Amino acid sequence: MNILTKQTYMRLSCVTAVTVTVLTIMLMTDAAAKSPRSDQQIAQERQALLEAVAKGDGLWHDGKLGTNGLACGNCHPDGSATNPHTWPKYQSNLGKVGTLREMINWCITVPMQGKPLAYDSTEMVAMETYATFAHRGVAIDPGKDEQHGAMPVAGGPGYPTH
Amino acid sequence: MKHISRRQFLGYSMKAGATTLFTGILAPSATSFFGYGGVAAAATKKVSPFTFAVLTDAHLYDIKDHKFDKFLEKAVADVNSLQPLPDLVLYAGDIGQSGKESELSKGKKILDKLTMPYKVIPGEHDYYLDLGKAWRGFFGDDHWSFDHKGVHFIGMNSILVPDFWTMAGLTPKERMGRMEELECHRCGLWGVGEKQLEWLAADVKKLGTDTPVIIMTHSPLWSYYPRWNFQTYDAPEINSILSKFEKVIAIHGHVHQVVYNQFGNTTSAGLLSTSWPWPYPPVDLPYPEYKMNRVDPGDFEDGLGSHKVAISSDFSGEVDYRAFSHLLPENVKRGLKM
Repeated sequence: MNILTKQTYMRLSCVTAVTVTVLTIMLMTDAAAKSPRSDQQIAQERQALLEAVAKGDGLWHDGKLGTNGLACGNCHPDGSATNPHTWPKYQSNLGKVGTLREMINWCITVPMQGKPLAYDSTEMVAMETYATFAHRGVAIDPGKDEQHGAMPVAGGPGYPTH
Repeated sequence: MKHISRRQFLGYSMKAGATTLFTGILAPSATSFFGYGGVAAAATKKVSPFTFAVLTDAHLYDIKDHKFDKFLEKAVADVNSLQPLPDLVLYAGDIGQSGKESELSKGKKILDKLTMPYKVIPGEHDYYLDLGKAWRGFFGDDHWSFDHKGVHFIGMNSILVPDFWTMAGLTPKERMGRMEELECHRCGLWGVGEKQLEWLAADVKKLGTDTPVIIMTHSPLWSYYPRWNFQTYDAPEINSILSKFEKVIAIHGHVHQVVYNQFGNTTSAGLLSTSWPWPYPPVDLPYPEYKMNRVDPGDFEDGLGSHKVAISSDFSGEVDYRAFSHLLPENVKRGLKM
């Protein structure tokens, strides 16, 4: 290593000082520009999620995605046995490693004889949101061979809460 | 054979009873294996052994050549092929999906192909479009009893919910739509109601405590998973009325799955549908060893089937699940001891 000349040393010190000053200003500016989300924002975001769950709940049960009267809810009440926490995984009906959205489309097109949804459609996202929300709190474990019961997304009078 | 009225059926039963006079032989009790042999041994000796079949939950749609039509037809053909032929067939509810007359009419036509008499109770899918009007037109009373070879059979309508539709201003179609959801958020718990409880108390009043009783309801007579109406809210009252009997065998539809329980003097079995299987709800089963395997969604017949029930002279029973596909573990294949 070369021995630092006085000139080089001074130049380096100067650069360091400038850098520290600039970083400090950046941090201060950043903190001022990005405040934590307000309670109101958090509530709005939660509301948006629940609206997607509700939309998915509707699509899940109204039978309009199929042509033979069947709805997802016929076999999957409360989103049961969709096992969102186990995807992606190898699924024998798909014949490959696939995603929950692919399985949703398989169910729509094969047992329900309907038309597949676009994977990025609001409908597909709502369906996925409904099924996944019904498994909130369940540990993610891709490929786990498990049939999981679901939690209700809304309880009514006379029903227990889970 | 055509669907028969209660009176015709009683006539038939009496005739059959007269020709098969039977003095009881105490067969080795299969039920003693399950730890209540005392009950079985004490039960009446008046039973003449026989078999009957049970079908349930066809959920037929008003769509021509729907796949569920074929599954009910297959179950009917299976029952007709049994040797020896079952004496009678019970149907535990939900012939239709949306309570339409066309669905019930289609179901009756298929059930009429049974070569033995059959008796039916309603499920919620048969009922909530017109509150049972069309169903009663096809099948008569929604609760009944008859005697056959020493056994007192009871059928009850267990799917009556308090009125949730009038205040909400729902049309009959909307009401039916709500009830079609297993997890209906606002439909409430169902049961048989006061009138049927009174009827039941009167029906069994004069029967001796050693009378073998078989009761069929759409929903289980124990609290399994109320969220999906896997329950009957006044089952405690029903069980209390039947508690004087030495032994009661209860069978039910609605759950679309193998499920077993024992409570008080009663053994209870849930049945396979001929439409689709339900997954097990997120609660512990009282007898987790009696459970069907996870079904393959690619095999539309997986989880479906018919049932043969054999009744022995000591009123031990055995429910054989005649699954269309091979979804049953070995212990369930051997039959549930009732």
